[in-house]
Amino acid sequence: MKNPIKKLFDAYESLFTGDGKYQRYEPVWDATKTFFFLPSPKTRFMPFVRDHLDLKRYMSFVILALLPVTLFGIYNAGFQSGRAAGETYSLLKCFFVGSWYVLPMIIVSYGVGFIWEFIFAIFRRHKISEGFLVTGLLFPLTLPPTIPLWQVALGISFGVVIGKEVFGGTGRNILNPALTARAFVFFSYPVTMSGEIWIAGKDMVDGITGATALAVTGIEGQAIGSALTEAGYSLSSLFLGLVPGSVGETSALCCLVGAAILMVTRIANYRIILGGIAGLAITSLLIYLIPGGSDTWANAGPLYHLFAGGFLFGISFMATDPVSAPGTNPGRWIFGFLIGFLTVVIRVANPAFMEGVMLAILFMNVFAPLLDHLVIKYKTSKRIPNV
Amino acid sequence: MEKIKISKGFTPKLTGDPDLSMIHLPFPRTIGCSAGDIPFIRPKLLVKEGDTVKTGTPLFSDKRDLSIQYVSPATGRVKQILFGERRRLLEVIINPREKDEFIEFNPVSAKDLTDMPKGELIDRLKQGGLWQGLRQFPAKDTADPDHTPAMIIVSLNGNDIFSPHPAQVLKEKLEAFNAGIAMLRRFSHRVVVTARQSSMKGLAALHKGLEDQITHVAGDTYPAWHPGVVLFALKQTEAENTSWSISLDHLIMMGEFLITGRYPVKKMVTITRDGDHRPHILARRGAPIKTLAGTFTPGSLVTTGQFNGRIIDPRSHLGFFENTLNIIGPGPGEEMFGFVRPGVNKPTVSATFLSAVFKKPAPLDCTLHGELRACINCSYCERICPNDLMPSFIMKALHGDEVEEALSLGMLDCCQCGLCSYTCPSKIELAKILAQGIDSHYKDKA
Repeated sequence: MKNPIKKLFDAYESLFTGDGKYQRYEPVWDATKTFFFLPSPKTRFMPFVRDHLDLKRYMSFVILALLPVTLFGIYNAGFQSGRAAGETYSLLKCFFVGSWYVLPMIIVSYGVGFIWEFIFAIFRRHKISEGFLVTGLLFPLTLPPTIPLWQVALGISFGVVIGKEVFGGTGRNILNPALTARAFVFFSYPVTMSGEIWIAGKDMVDGITGATALAVTGIEGQAIGSALTEAGYSLSSLFLGLVPGSVGETSALCCLVGAAILMVTRIANYRIILGGIAGLAITSLLIYLIPGGSDTWANAGPLYHLFAGGFLFGISFMATDPVSAPGTNPGRWIFGFLIGFLTVVIRVANPAFMEGVMLAILFMNVFAPLLDHLVIKYKTSKRIPNV
Repeated sequence: MEKIKISKGFTPKLTGDPDLSMIHLPFPRTIGCSAGDIPFIRPKLLVKEGDTVKTGTPLFSDKRDLSIQYVSPATGRVKQILFGERRRLLEVIINPREKDEFIEFNPVSAKDLTDMPKGELIDRLKQGGLWQGLRQFPAKDTADPDHTPAMIIVSLNGNDIFSPHPAQVLKEKLEAFNAGIAMLRRFSHRVVVTARQSSMKGLAALHKGLEDQITHVAGDTYPAWHPGVVLFALKQTEAENTSWSISLDHLIMMGEFLITGRYPVKKMVTITRDGDHRPHILARRGAPIKTLAGTFTPGSLVTTGQFNGRIIDPRSHLGFFENTLNIIGPGPGEEMFGFVRPGVNKPTVSATFLSAVFKKPAPLDCTLHGELRACINCSYCERICPNDLMPSFIMKALHGDEVEEALSLGMLDCCQCGLCSYTCPSKIELAKILAQGIDSHYKDKA
């Protein structure tokens, strides 16, 4: 018995391949077909046996690692909306309301992004890479649930076209496309990306502010720690994540679960994540030890810096994008460490940007090739020359 | 005895390892002398179809050095000379007679071996069609007789994980082995003899003194015993880049040839297939693949090394450099939603399939399990390369025609183990790209 879906594909195959009527659209056909049926051509060159891991599986694991963050993000969007309306929604209602805000963002991001991918694949005549599966989900998770959908569409278009395709497509981009997209929206539409816009809901009751933890400062000499607790951002609530913020970033716990999945399966390089956390912890500790500024984030200490904002999300899912990170192991340690360092420095020293992770990662993306260059230069100097 | 340990490489969980028993292959109906497995050769034919040849008669030589000749492994009539694309010589097929008539040379005694002039020794090996058993790094071309190598590496284990067990190959051949080692000492001050850790027990059981002859024991992580990996592990100076290497089979062959004056006609072969434990086979050199391999599922690949052999046509004959045949099954085909299956039966070096949890051997098939994609810089190739290379960076350097950069990244240290291609999730033919880079650099230089 032949698989009916396979039959369907076989029936229309000739239209899209060879001299078929729609052979221009072969990449689209191919992407659809290979989604259902894993292609497995015969090996032609040594080695004749190959590992089972391919890029589809690779990217699927990033999606898998993003699932806790995504589901929690949806729940939290609903929860915050309820809180703003002065009600406590049930679990189901939280998911329902959250889905109402978040799912359209994800659908628009995937839809518009894939259209760009298809256009470039058709004109460049190459197959569609699986990398966008991750980009398309990462981008909406970095946005506030209140963002207008047209900005999502515009952002992902910028990310895919300018962040990736102009460099030649997957594997050749300098910057992480999802972060490029976010940076575009961040700088183009500051109103929707900053201020008190982090809670999705129509009628807010008094006393609820939508400001994120990073916007909090102590008033009149109040220490940052107690100011944060007063505003509802205790360490435990930041860790669990039932606080306002971008869809995916709020729960440190879910980010850590995702990071663990990525590190255990060796999809992400643990050096970047651990290096980043070390960089953040050491830098924030050093700044903490400098006297003064007890009412600002300078005095927040490593744990607050770790759990507040999008650092864990960024270092786990954005910085570990192998294409825009360094390709050498020492380079990865330095890369991660400096992301942690820069994140704290931007948070503390520059009040214009409440969140430093995005800029820190993009900045280090630019320096990744330089790190690689230095590491390789050192490594080759240690080799016994063979020319 | 020193140990050679590599920190990377691949610990196989493969099935199909050969049994340690041994059977004789019946006398075959055709015997071939293959040219397909000889690197860099530009063959010049020395016989025509219909000619009668003795065992040891030169069949073709190498145009680059006409004194390097490949001789007939049997006595009989030349039945057919097979050419491939662009009239490339594939093999010379002989209708053999069961009784061999040899081209005879004067036997060389142990004393002669140390006393006879080096030039004479080299000429003798060339006339016997055996000199090409010595290979010279980095391109692994036929050794240059005018060059004195810093070391000669003898690897007792073959190119494949399931190559013949050295104890099987050495059985009753110890005299030839010793003569071979004595011969190598004429060419270099340093002779390195390596064996896999797992072979040591069998070797010790075979002969007591044998252990003392082995200078280095390599781990069981593939490819720790490859000459290229041994060289990289031992290398201390640039001069050692042009070392030589020789396989156990060829070393014994040379020893036997010098002692008896006749071309040795038998070789030990293993046939591997998932789930099988086939015995070692003592076969004629140039035996037909069909007789050796038997029947197998259509769509399978027959190769002479799962990781670094060549695809061999089942109608052809075993080559001078080959002593393993792997029958690799066709696999399940295009699986529905293959990329989200748990994969208990899908071996992987990553940890993305359940097979990573279980230690039991899993079957491998001859398909890519995916399609070609752009390099995403994931470093899986660097993580597995035994010689500490960064294959993806070398690939990119070669892609941009930056040969100097590829060289400085250590391209010529590549031992052609094939692990980078094996592990690449983007299914990039890294091993092939590196091999082409090395070959074209070598040809440019020559």
